[in-house]
Amino acid sequence: MLLRNAEILFNDRVSSELYHMGLLCPEIAARIQPGQFLMVRVQEGFDPLLRRPFAVHRIHHNDPPTSFEMLYRVVGRGTRLLADMQAAASLNLLGPLGRGFQVPDHDGFVLMVAGGIGIAPLPHLAETLVSSGFRGPFVLWFGGKTATELVCVKHFKDLGFAVQLVTEDGSEGRQGLVTGHLEQWLSQQGELPKVMYSCGPYPMQRLVAEMAARLGIPSQLSMEALMGCGVGACLSCSLRCRPLEDGPDPHYLNVCQDGPVFAGEEIVWE
Amino acid sequence: MTNDKPVNLAVELGPLRLENPVMVASGTFGYGQEYAELVPPERLGAMVVKGISLEPRSGNPPPRIWETCGGMLNAIGLQNVGLRAFLEEKLPWLKPLLVPVIVNLFGNTVEEYGKLAAALDGQEGVAGLEINISCPNVKAGGMTFGSDPEMVFQVVSAVRSRTNLPVITKLTPNVTDITVTARAAQDAGTDILSLINTVAGMAVDVQTRQPRLANVVGGLSGPAIRPIALRMVWQVVQVSRVPVIGLGGIVSVEDALEFLLVGAKAIQVGTANFVNPRVTLEIIDGLEDYLRQQGLVDINEIIGTLEIPEQSQGADCR
Repeated sequence: MLLRNAEILFNDRVSSELYHMGLLCPEIAARIQPGQFLMVRVQEGFDPLLRRPFAVHRIHHNDPPTSFEMLYRVVGRGTRLLADMQAAASLNLLGPLGRGFQVPDHDGFVLMVAGGIGIAPLPHLAETLVSSGFRGPFVLWFGGKTATELVCVKHFKDLGFAVQLVTEDGSEGRQGLVTGHLEQWLSQQGELPKVMYSCGPYPMQRLVAEMAARLGIPSQLSMEALMGCGVGACLSCSLRCRPLEDGPDPHYLNVCQDGPVFAGEEIVWE
Repeated sequence: MTNDKPVNLAVELGPLRLENPVMVASGTFGYGQEYAELVPPERLGAMVVKGISLEPRSGNPPPRIWETCGGMLNAIGLQNVGLRAFLEEKLPWLKPLLVPVIVNLFGNTVEEYGKLAAALDGQEGVAGLEINISCPNVKAGGMTFGSDPEMVFQVVSAVRSRTNLPVITKLTPNVTDITVTARAAQDAGTDILSLINTVAGMAVDVQTRQPRLANVVGGLSGPAIRPIALRMVWQVVQVSRVPVIGLGGIVSVEDALEFLLVGAKAIQVGTANFVNPRVTLEIIDGLEDYLRQQGLVDINEIIGTLEIPEQSQGADCR
């Protein structure tokens, strides 16, 4: 965990609410594992007060890596301030934080599932798999409200992913929700994935985890929560998980420190 | 005028001696390990660890946090590992640290406070106890104890009679007159008072018409509450025979100085740790700079030196 000022390399609007920010900070870049996140101070001063958590989207794979990217959606005051920032400005970062995705033990069929801005942490994982010599096959199922939410699809295709798109309004790909189509598609495949990686809204994550459990596929879910500190001190970002033997029930883990990536079977869905 | 003489930041709070007056507040610094990569615990005046109870506590369901203007509402519900796990898993890491470790403790009954105090008495690595009678987010005990002077007296007496460690009593601001509960704690034998805990508050999502916190109400912290905290510390200092630790919304050296000037012997930094994990170190350095700028050599020279202009002295804001 480092506390550093990064230089903003670019901060581009990708679609109506989505922004793509490049950050230069060699020390942090060199330490980021796929699925980890950063706590970003969106402004000097104390209003807004708290840092905001953002997934790391990609690492720029020069050697050693010196810069990385965040993909974020403007949802409130903090992200609006972030969207207004210009290249060359400085941004204070705390990170990298949390337990990220685990790379599979063996090569084989890898399925990624993303809902909306849940796509954010997956490119770094995909690049890591490919650069580590995994050959797949790789499939991404990506759902959004409308076609403009479905960003960085070409990047996944370039990495060798087969990409299945779903939109709620039918403006691109299948119409409906990812979770409404995925299981039927899986049943038509010759083999089941070795692992499912997923990031998206809580109801989607729940359906993905339940489906993975039914099919006996290990799932790794990147979860989201309102956070205070990002390091396990404030105990605000709790996620209900299976109680330990002799431990208190309900059992809450911290999304920031115990996650953000959890195995599907760890979570008690509410 | 500046000078290069070494300055003294050490303060004495009754039986507790601190190398500097900057502490971290309970519940905002975990058990020290969480921030150790950024803040060497030894540089702090003291570290108050996350409140512990006899048995582990789950805490409240999420959402537990909501940001407000200059503040943060929380309703954690005193989630903690419990006494046994604290002694077995947390204390061994804390023991060798050259910093006074204060254990914040919380009970559901007067007897539980006494049992906790007895279990922690004589534990190597524990420099003092802070009695939490002021958490607004739990149904039994907590604020019910903290707002009733008779209960404050009973809880502090139960702890006092079971330990030789320095005892700090942390007061809630959610009372009409904080000097009443301050006196009760003092009469029961507390060595030190700390104030304030969070201010009871609430926020609502107007789209869903639901409260922002699953617990409905929570405790407000952060710079939004600092003027309330400062006023209460000043009031308590007027009537207190024991040293006072000031806290509530401190985010900078200027804020810390305000509390010292009204008479706090030490300060705690809480929510600001989340925003700037190194804020305590900046405050410690800032206090040295302030003393040098003022041509002073000892932090004790400024504590309680608030100057009230003559024409204001009739003002009574209690």
